[in-house]
Amino acid sequence: MAAVGRLAGGQVSGGASRPRRRTGLLLALPAIAIFALLFLAPLFTLVANSFRTQTGAFTLDNYARFLGDPFYRDVLWNTLKVAGMTTIGCLLVGYPFALYMRGRSARVRNWLALLLLSPLLISMVIRAYGWLVVLGPNGPVAAVFEAFGLTAPQLLYNDTAVLIGMVHVMLAYMVLPLMGSLDRIDPTLVPAAKGLGAPGWTCFWRITLPLSAPGMLAGAMIVFSLTASSFVTPAILGGPKVKLMPYFVYTQATTTLDWPYAAAIGFVLVVVTTGLLLGYARLLRRGNGDVVFG
Amino acid sequence: MSRLTRLLGGAFAVLVGLFLIAPVAVTVASSLTTTSYVTFPPQGITLRWYAEVFQKPEFLSSFALSALVALAAAAISAVVGLAGGLAIHRYRFPGRGALEAVLSSAFAVPTIVLGIGLLQWFAQMGLASSPFTLLLAHLVLTVPYAVRLVLAGLAGLDRAAEKAAAGLGAAPFMVFWHVTLPAVRGALIGGAFFAFITSFDDLTVALFVVTTDLQTLPVRIFNYMQYDYDPTVTAIGTLMVLFAVVAVVVIERFVGVAKLFGADQDHK
Repeated sequence: MAAVGRLAGGQVSGGASRPRRRTGLLLALPAIAIFALLFLAPLFTLVANSFRTQTGAFTLDNYARFLGDPFYRDVLWNTLKVAGMTTIGCLLVGYPFALYMRGRSARVRNWLALLLLSPLLISMVIRAYGWLVVLGPNGPVAAVFEAFGLTAPQLLYNDTAVLIGMVHVMLAYMVLPLMGSLDRIDPTLVPAAKGLGAPGWTCFWRITLPLSAPGMLAGAMIVFSLTASSFVTPAILGGPKVKLMPYFVYTQATTTLDWPYAAAIGFVLVVVTTGLLLGYARLLRRGNGDVVFG
Repeated sequence: MSRLTRLLGGAFAVLVGLFLIAPVAVTVASSLTTTSYVTFPPQGITLRWYAEVFQKPEFLSSFALSALVALAAAAISAVVGLAGGLAIHRYRFPGRGALEAVLSSAFAVPTIVLGIGLLQWFAQMGLASSPFTLLLAHLVLTVPYAVRLVLAGLAGLDRAAEKAAAGLGAAPFMVFWHVTLPAVRGALIGGAFFAFITSFDDLTVALFVVTTDLQTLPVRIFNYMQYDYDPTVTAIGTLMVLFAVVAVVVIERFVGVAKLFGADQDHK
């Protein structure tokens, strides 16, 4: 699309004359200012601070401390574990759901997509609060257990609670790229295989599943990295007992007030997640992003 | 497909649907309970907790702050997004490639990292917390969407229409007003509403930018939740959900919600 835009611009201007360049720059200036001053500068400050002591001298201590302390290694490991479990959870729930969606009419699919996206559109505090009620001692889940004469297991303030809350909000990121992949599978393949005598399960294992791998990969990458960097949902549902990196970025920055250390943890988080997200964007672009939601 | 698999598929889809709506449905239902603690199913029906919301001045002032910042973020995002989208789509200028690169990679930076970066950068600049710094912080979250939606709108505009208007003697401003602007109108409205709810609902960035005297509604709720477990929060939550529903209906009508979540983003 960018290439088309450049072409169109070129056609009209017949080469970029100086006044046109100036108009372009002028129009883009507010956006450039916002990103230079409010995106690049803060990130640069963050990285610079992560290499400083509290008094401002250069140091690598903040990183050495993070990687050397078994407690923080555990935090990193737990972050990756929760992100991994959420990814698997989204795949297990999302794959059958995507298959179900594929068989529906365009209208129904639209509604289902909106349903999937609905958790992303409501306030994350309210969403997390809702889960506190659902999973809490006076909630419907506990009521169901009681109806069977059982005591409900502890569902809040542990990894399970975070997992439930994260799968809930991340499901759309898994299902929508998957739908894109499923839609691109030649619809004659499965009937052809069936005609040649392959049973339904074989068709699924040998045709549908492998051909939808790019969508699964794209979905897994974005779910993993967004979960690893989530703060609000895990903080509310998991509390301080569930040790995740974003939580420590927050407490180091606002409670302990060790800004350089908070910056270092934040930067490690960026390295872990941003690489994955940029890879995801590349995958989407290669597969033509528009098709994904078509 | 056999009848059984179809039935199982349908049952599974219903379960997933219940899972997706559970937290909101339960919040809305339990906001009506007559008990002084949150419970589901609610016991009896009362609107007492809604009245309670309006008797808490700190919630009202937080709502006013959030709404004000969100309105400003929406308006500025629409204008900056329109200008930026036009610039990228039609002009070559120094920094164009860099701007495009930053726009498409902004979503990849975790919001919490952006929050702490802004905290440290604002402190270094000597900028104290104010509604203005909050607005600045939210613009970083909302402008990329606005630009992207405008670019998508412009891509669908046939340049021949603009040339025809110009050829028939319309002044450049008239061409812009009557041909270009209508083509991106949906993108602008959708982008503005999305900017509004993004700013209005943001907690992650706001937590770093606010102080105890300056709390947005989500921050206020977040802090309230740590100490109180009464149904007031469920009433506020229901009101916020209603807000979001209105925004979503508008976005769906003008641009389509799915478009917003293309190659993108997180902030969650």
